Amino acid sequence: MVSGRRTALAAWLFLAPALVLLAAFSFWPVGFGSYLAFTDYSLIRPTSSVGLDNFRYIFDNEMFVTGLKNSLVFLLMVPFVQIGALGLAVLVNNRLPGIRLFRAAFYVPVVTTVSVVGIMWGFMFHEQGALNYMLMALRFVDAPVGWLSNDTLALFCIMFVTLWRGLGWYMVMYLAALQAVPAEMQEAAILDGASRWQRFWKITVPMLHPTIMVCTILSVLAALKAYQEVDVLTQGGPMNSTFTALYYSYDQGLKHLKLPRALAASFVVSVFCVGIAMLCLRYLKPRQK
Amino acid sequence: MKIKLLLTALMALGAATLVAAAPPVQKIEFWTFSMKPKFTPYFEGLARSYEAAHPGIKIEWVDFPWDIIQTKLVTRIVAGTPPALVNLNVPWADEFARDGLLTPVDELLQGARQRYLASTLEDLTFGGKTYGFPMYSNVAVISYNTDIFKAAGLTRAPNSLDEQLAFARQIAQRTGKAGLCPALSKIDGLMMQQGLPVIKDGRAAFNSPAHVALVAKLAATYKAGGLLKDSLFAEDNFPAAIDAYKGGRLGMLLAPPTAVKRIETDAKDIYAKTGVAPAPLGPTGIADGGWLVHFAVPAGVDKKLLPQIGEFARYLTNDANQLAFAKQASVYPAAAEAARDPFFLAVPPGAGAAEKAVSAGAVSMPHSHTLYVSGVTDYDELRRSLVKAVEAGVTGRQDIQQALDAAAAIWNKKLARQSKLSRIQGQTPIAAQLASSQPALMPLSGPSRIWGQTPNAAQAGWGAGGIW
Repeated sequence: MVSGRRTALAAWLFLAPALVLLAAFSFWPVGFGSYLAFTDYSLIRPTSSVGLDNFRYIFDNEMFVTGLKNSLVFLLMVPFVQIGALGLAVLVNNRLPGIRLFRAAFYVPVVTTVSVVGIMWGFMFHEQGALNYMLMALRFVDAPVGWLSNDTLALFCIMFVTLWRGLGWYMVMYLAALQAVPAEMQEAAILDGASRWQRFWKITVPMLHPTIMVCTILSVLAALKAYQEVDVLTQGGPMNSTFTALYYSYDQGLKHLKLPRALAASFVVSVFCVGIAMLCLRYLKPRQK
Repeated sequence: MKIKLLLTALMALGAATLVAAAPPVQKIEFWTFSMKPKFTPYFEGLARSYEAAHPGIKIEWVDFPWDIIQTKLVTRIVAGTPPALVNLNVPWADEFARDGLLTPVDELLQGARQRYLASTLEDLTFGGKTYGFPMYSNVAVISYNTDIFKAAGLTRAPNSLDEQLAFARQIAQRTGKAGLCPALSKIDGLMMQQGLPVIKDGRAAFNSPAHVALVAKLAATYKAGGLLKDSLFAEDNFPAAIDAYKGGRLGMLLAPPTAVKRIETDAKDIYAKTGVAPAPLGPTGIADGGWLVHFAVPAGVDKKLLPQIGEFARYLTNDANQLAFAKQASVYPAAAEAARDPFFLAVPPGAGAAEKAVSAGAVSMPHSHTLYVSGVTDYDELRRSLVKAVEAGVTGRQDIQQALDAAAAIWNKKLARQSKLSRIQGQTPIAAQLASSQPALMPLSGPSRIWGQTPNAAQAGWGAGGIW
């Protein structure tokens, strides 16, 4: 009994530094920020409660509503990111000459700063840019396409860039998981006459299940929180069509100093994040056999 | 014993130092935005020479990036330690003044009012009080690619908005290149410059037949390929516009003379074939691209220090200093005498486009105003709904009247709510605030000495273009 208490005490002591940091830099800002979303907080006036006014304002605001819809549209990208990253991981898991170069190449977008990504893809998507040049040279299009100036295409272009940036990150996670799959199991399946496809579905995928779950949840959260690419490529345009919920929050809070509205928008995004993450946990959790 | 003696001597020395100390030093802290490192010698030089002439005054200069200076200022005002002077632009000053965060400077201006261009002081007057010492402003000029003009059969710069659009269409038809790249995200400024009110009697007024006609002209030019499509509606489309001009893909660039300097540095071949002319004035007589920067006095500064602050502000913005700064920065002084300096008005023999641009801008400078709508909460969000409507209309995605009507409905809903709130709180109704903030029609001065043309009310300009 005493030993158990001492173990627990030791555990809390070890946890304490991290908990203090989390409390100061995560729990407190989240709690205080959530409280401020229900106030008219301003640096220059005394703060008072305004109930749900900030939420009414943002849901009455076209940019936030568009942003929220777009954030949900971003979720469509999750399967593509996950399947793409898993495919890449399987490819680069082979022992081939120069494979390390490919692994590094796929990871480069992850470590590239978003401003560089913005400049690069801005050039690619420019009406006089590389993409249009290529398409016109190949005679796929007759006139330059306004990738970022067309309100239908712009959001998908941004989604593509986020996909491009995310693939390498998830690829590395899947690669690590793939390399942890015991070789004996694969060898036993080969001896049993299992095909490559069967080995992938019956051994590799089940062994990767926890990683797939974690990656999917992270990917869902990243999709709901997308805003950097919007800032560097379109700033919400054209016709406010590429606003995301979090970009609206950033726009209100840091560009217009309307903190309560920004926090209300972030609060809504958080509710979506928690809700969708819980759904993922529920339906993707490996079943106990 | 020796130690005691030593200690006594030190104490005596300390006491003597205290007794002999100079009178207390008064610190004046002033803030600018985005001036470092290019103007470090200028501002440090100003501070040192002022200190030398005013013993007992210590000047401290702080420079912030433009996008954080507002936050820093609010924080320091709330903390009770505001700087003595801060660089602001007119819309910021208006907002700060409405929030009670600035100190009126009418008394501090004293007899110096006539030293500044009247238009600049008008821009800084809100509710009958003046809120700043004008420092510099800018104004747009038209730079045009003479090769493209020649290929399009054009022989001169446009004199009106209609001509600008017609020229742009002609350039597109004959050369396949874009003619113009207006900053349509500032469409409200363009409307105001063209004498079309954005708000009237507390309601949106931009869906009138005249406004629809203006957007229709833009749409026709867009359809003909006359407007550069890159970032046409972006918050800041200047980078796209100047890149296109430097690449020989744009016929006309409406931008301050600094842009011509950039063309000279970055694209010598295009610079060599660049012609320059003053941007036409709108029917309101307001020049395009005005953007006044000034020194404001924040609320909460030590009242006893106000006379010294006023003196220093007048020194910072006097003719000689404004002239020196404007020459270095390729902007225009807001001080009347400095603005009349031959540097701005005279075109030396064999001058290039950059020098011509400076004098072309100087012609328009007395007609420069910062165009914006004041007194409306969340104006920026409303403006964006207007820009969205104009974008839908210009690009042909929606009927212009319908698009503007839809935006007007959004505006009216918000304006009605704000009016209601204002009445509850006993504030001035929106309509009155707006009326007082609309730039007045300016009487225009005589013929231009340099360009041989009379800026008159018939000349229409490209309104919002140069607000970058």
